[in-house]
Amino acid sequence: MTAPPLPARAGRRRRVGVRGAPWLFVVPALLVYGVVVLYPTAAGGLYAFTDWTGRAGDANFVGLDNFRRLFNTESARSALVNTLTIAAACTIVQTAAGLGLALALNTRLRSRNVLRTLFFASALLPPVIIGFLWQYVLTPTGPLNTALSDVGLGALRQNWLGDGSLALWSVIGVIIWQNAGLTMVIYLAGLQGIPPEVHEAAAIDGAGPWQRFRSVTLPLLLPATTIALSLTLIGSLKLFDQVFAMTGGGPGYATETLSVVMYKEAFVSGEFGYSAAIALVLTMIVFAFAMIQLRTLRRFEVDS
Amino acid sequence: MSPNHMARRHRPARAGLAAGLTTLLALSGCGFVNTGDGDGDTATLTTYTSPEQNTGLADLYAAYEEREGVTVDASHAAAEELNQQLRVQLTSGTAPDVIRVSPGYSSPVSAGVLGEADELADLSDSAWAGQLDESTAVLAGDGERTVAYPVGRNAIVAAYNKEVFEELSLEVPTTWSELLAVCEELEAAGKTPIAAGLSGGVYLQFFVYALAGTLVHAEQPDLDERMRAGETSFADEAAWTEVFEKLTELNEYFTPDALGVPADQAQQALARGEAGMTLLVSAGLPQLFDYAAEGSDAFEVFALPADDDPDATVLPTAPDFLAVNAASPRVDEARTFLDFLAEPENVESYATTLGVLPGVGETAQAADSPLAPVLPLVDEGRTAPYANYLWPNGDTQQTLLQSGQQLLAGEIGVPALLDQLDEQYAKGTR
Repeated sequence: MTAPPLPARAGRRRRVGVRGAPWLFVVPALLVYGVVVLYPTAAGGLYAFTDWTGRAGDANFVGLDNFRRLFNTESARSALVNTLTIAAACTIVQTAAGLGLALALNTRLRSRNVLRTLFFASALLPPVIIGFLWQYVLTPTGPLNTALSDVGLGALRQNWLGDGSLALWSVIGVIIWQNAGLTMVIYLAGLQGIPPEVHEAAAIDGAGPWQRFRSVTLPLLLPATTIALSLTLIGSLKLFDQVFAMTGGGPGYATETLSVVMYKEAFVSGEFGYSAAIALVLTMIVFAFAMIQLRTLRRFEVDS
Repeated sequence: MSPNHMARRHRPARAGLAAGLTTLLALSGCGFVNTGDGDGDTATLTTYTSPEQNTGLADLYAAYEEREGVTVDASHAAAEELNQQLRVQLTSGTAPDVIRVSPGYSSPVSAGVLGEADELADLSDSAWAGQLDESTAVLAGDGERTVAYPVGRNAIVAAYNKEVFEELSLEVPTTWSELLAVCEELEAAGKTPIAAGLSGGVYLQFFVYALAGTLVHAEQPDLDERMRAGETSFADEAAWTEVFEKLTELNEYFTPDALGVPADQAQQALARGEAGMTLLVSAGLPQLFDYAAEGSDAFEVFALPADDDPDATVLPTAPDFLAVNAASPRVDEARTFLDFLAEPENVESYATTLGVLPGVGETAQAADSPLAPVLPLVDEGRTAPYANYLWPNGDTQQTLLQSGQQLLAGEIGVPALLDQLDEQYAKGTR
């Protein structure tokens, strides 16, 4: 009888251990992720095709009824339009504001660090707190209207959150105010990654400030722009907290977003199936917009 | 089988065990797994109530623990949050033994909805069940059984600033015409007649329920039954049109730009004497009193009149319910706890602590409460449930909150609002 060579067995055992060990460490996390994220997501997708009311065993398959209802109900369509309006306005204005702030504070200004901190501070506060604070600021007799009167601009006083034609724009203004600082930080990082030599070379070649900005700074900021636009777009498409805190979706249906409708349908009306359908549509919208945006911007990045 | 082979077989088993334990621990931490003391354990009774209920029950928990030798494990959360969590807990089988439920059919976790789904224990044979007044009894069950105990009752009341009324020599209005006359006089004196913070729509509904109590339910107690049967509707009932027309009439006297004003700011204006009256639920009175230096002495309450017969005014009241989770392993113990709460001295203790109407029994004990001026209506049985409690779903109320704001903003008219309410109502009766 010949015993198998010991070194070979030891080596084989070691190889198995090396291959298996990493996976074993990941398994608990995967299981938790699966139970907490993957399973509910998949289940939500299935419930979107049912009339589930939140009770166990109370889900009947209803095909595409929930989706038909979503696109045929005026209030839901209005919420979709509001959501897209908020997303478009925030994406454009917030990105421009963040870029403007970053350019202004990427100078040798002595107070730049204080100003950077101040502009970024609002992004650190919880959105619900921001919502409640601004609800107070924007009341008819609140600080904003009072300040307008005090500086002789009383004619500009408005019922900022109580006027259906104005409330959505007030909410958009608050969201941009809160998040412009975050966009600023992204652009500041981008600006500081541009080597000064590039600007110096362009200046030596005779490029003026505007031309340097358009032909040098902007193209080199495209990676930062991709991140800023993606974060803003996704965040504003699924907006809930500030709207819920400031207006609850009102007055009437003026500021309702898809997320707010989703919440009300599930927890106020107990229509979890319909709510899941709204969630599914919202997820698809976010996914589609994010993909289009990423692909488009990446192409610009490559071209430039 | 080679040792190597065995080692490979055991590794996944050990990994699976570790992963399983991790998952179990994670789930326990998240509250998905019931870590109670086991079936039939009588040592601990779990409750899940609103913060107000918890305040009223705190002393009673202690007394019950001492008498019965059990521990009460009490949790509480704001009604909105509680409603969300309770639905999930009931579905996953992790709901506490005693839970707060909404009246009638007003939410997915209401006595009517959960009762019909057999998720609440039948309490019909409890001694207190026979003592419920009509407007409470109809909200405490599913039409056949009583499944909820009214630990207290709120009422929708108008509160006025006594100093303002004295300054202008105003009398408390007892009819609709008198109410409008008082509003005119307040307006002429440069005051806001009715402080109304209608941002979010929550307070808007109270005006509707107060007017409907007198105009709709006092006249037609069986209206909800007929609406459910499809025999009539919001649009078909002239009384409902009158309710919303009177609401738009009152809108003329509300706080300017009321749709952008939060309720607390409106109440502060009343406390400062900038407004004459407001409308709120009695549970909100302590907060109103806090806004005035004189506290409760600064205000008095009355029932909002809706027509010109002072004896026709009805007070909308809302029971504050506790129920027993039918899936609890301690149903009997939970029922014993509710029976304990229904003992007269405990009913009085709860009502006195919170300044609310007693849920069962006589109202005389509450004579010292801020609600004293409206107690005669309660004793005479001139009460009605909040209108939304017998609507068949939460959508109808949600439409009232949102479309009601559009009505006050002039964006839609009364007929359009009534049609929208009918549309939502019909969804619940199909």
